Amino acid sequence: MKQTPEYDKIQQNMRKGVITLDGFLGDDTRKLVDIIAADTYTIHAHHTTKEAIASRMEYFRKEGEQGLGEPITVDGHFEVRVDSVRGLLPSPFGGPGMYAKINTMVVNKTSGKSIVYTDLHIHFIKDHGFFEGIGSPFRLEPTDLIEILEVQPSEE
Amino acid sequence: MVTTLLISIAIISLISVFLALLMVIADATIGNYGTVKISINDGTKELEVKGGQPLLKALNQEGVFIPSACGGRGSCGMCKVRVVQGGGEYLPTELPWISEEEKKKQIRLSCQFKVKSDVAIVIPEELFSVREYKTVVEKIRDLTHDIKEITLRLKEPDQISPKAGQYVQFMVPEYELTDESVYRAYSIASPPGDSSRVELEIRLVPNGICTTYVHKHLKEGDEVTINGPYGDFYLRDTERNIIFIAGGSGMAPIKSMLLDMEKKGITRKASYFFGARSKRDLFLLDEMRELEKKMPNFTFIPALSEPQPEDNWEGEVGLITDVVRRMTTEGNNSEAYLCGSPGMINACINVLNELGVLPENIFYDKFS
Repeated sequence: MKQTPEYDKIQQNMRKGVITLDGFLGDDTRKLVDIIAADTYTIHAHHTTKEAIASRMEYFRKEGEQGLGEPITVDGHFEVRVDSVRGLLPSPFGGPGMYAKINTMVVNKTSGKSIVYTDLHIHFIKDHGFFEGIGSPFRLEPTDLIEILEVQPSEE
Repeated sequence: MVTTLLISIAIISLISVFLALLMVIADATIGNYGTVKISINDGTKELEVKGGQPLLKALNQEGVFIPSACGGRGSCGMCKVRVVQGGGEYLPTELPWISEEEKKKQIRLSCQFKVKSDVAIVIPEELFSVREYKTVVEKIRDLTHDIKEITLRLKEPDQISPKAGQYVQFMVPEYELTDESVYRAYSIASPPGDSSRVELEIRLVPNGICTTYVHKHLKEGDEVTINGPYGDFYLRDTERNIIFIAGGSGMAPIKSMLLDMEKKGITRKASYFFGARSKRDLFLLDEMRELEKKMPNFTFIPALSEPQPEDNWEGEVGLITDVVRRMTTEGNNSEAYLCGSPGMINACINVLNELGVLPENIFYDKFS
């Protein structure tokens, strides 16, 4: 797929050491548009959308925040802890926003599986359909998110 | 055929050598800015440094430490410094971190801004007392299933003088999760009176570079580099009642303040609300009960949000904000000290405002 110069610049911002030590691409050598397209394909194969996934991530972030930094039970079978470390991150996609390093940790007690994501991840997925490159230490697999957060099929 | 190949290799090698030589010459001439001067706070301190390096690094090498959570990689936005002379144009790598208001105040990101000519900067006076310390891990203790207490004994320099509530930066060396050393900030849990040791309480964050290092790799006897102390979260010298609120590793600065109060004989009425989910998340209960005995005006109030049946918990139950609301009187004669996530801090501020605590009497260490 052809990539615009704007996305070339964004991809440059995602490289190791530009915004974060590890960057957002890992060992992934594909173009940014191809990374996003591949994950979009996976999402659609599960009959859902990036908006539905992000919405579910926001839901647990909001519910978990009520634990005030401690784990809290949500909907009976999810354990959620929202915690933060010092510092802020700008988005490699640009824009005026800065994202606090707030981690949402969700354990699905039914499956025993867990996942951790940040506010920056929510922005990546909701606004850009970006789950990070393969090999990035903070990549979120769309299928893991759909399974662990129990994202329901939705209209595209 | 072979001759052609050999000639090609020779030509490529020659070109490579020529280019390498050109780069060395360029580095020694074009990239050589010589010695430049950094004037700090209207000449209070004058430094002479090698030009061309980032301001943060140049200052660090001269023993002036600017807080930075990422170790100078432009990924935390913490190392902002006012450059009042010699600043020049903003770099693209600075711009995501600098607001329009900060531009007017000539604020720069010191890890990105390179000192290529004489500059004048303004920094908070307290940063002059920040130092780098070589330490050795004296003790590691599990406080809960995911919080460790790390005791560092200072080697060089062997004394530190923090205020209770301040924090230090912990240097994580290269290891499997990071190719380069990085810094992370942690509140000091030990009292300022113990100037030869620094105690930290570190909660494991999944995939966290520093917390994983501390929890999975750090051993007693290891050497650790820290710098500090930093921060303006410390006990104010007033006669007001004190409300402390924290959960998890937010315990650290509060514990330091309480131990300092006990040592100094401060007898102000103080309540410490400590929130946890269940009994397995509580820690240092014995130490807090001991402090209650030594400090008659101090009350420790642990509260569980989701006590388990096996906990046999008879103490306070509910979110810490609800417990604070239930148990606080004389809010208008109180000051509050909070440590935790932004969500926790914001929720507590709302409750404290309801209780009559004036906004100017609410102090917090918000982790962002």
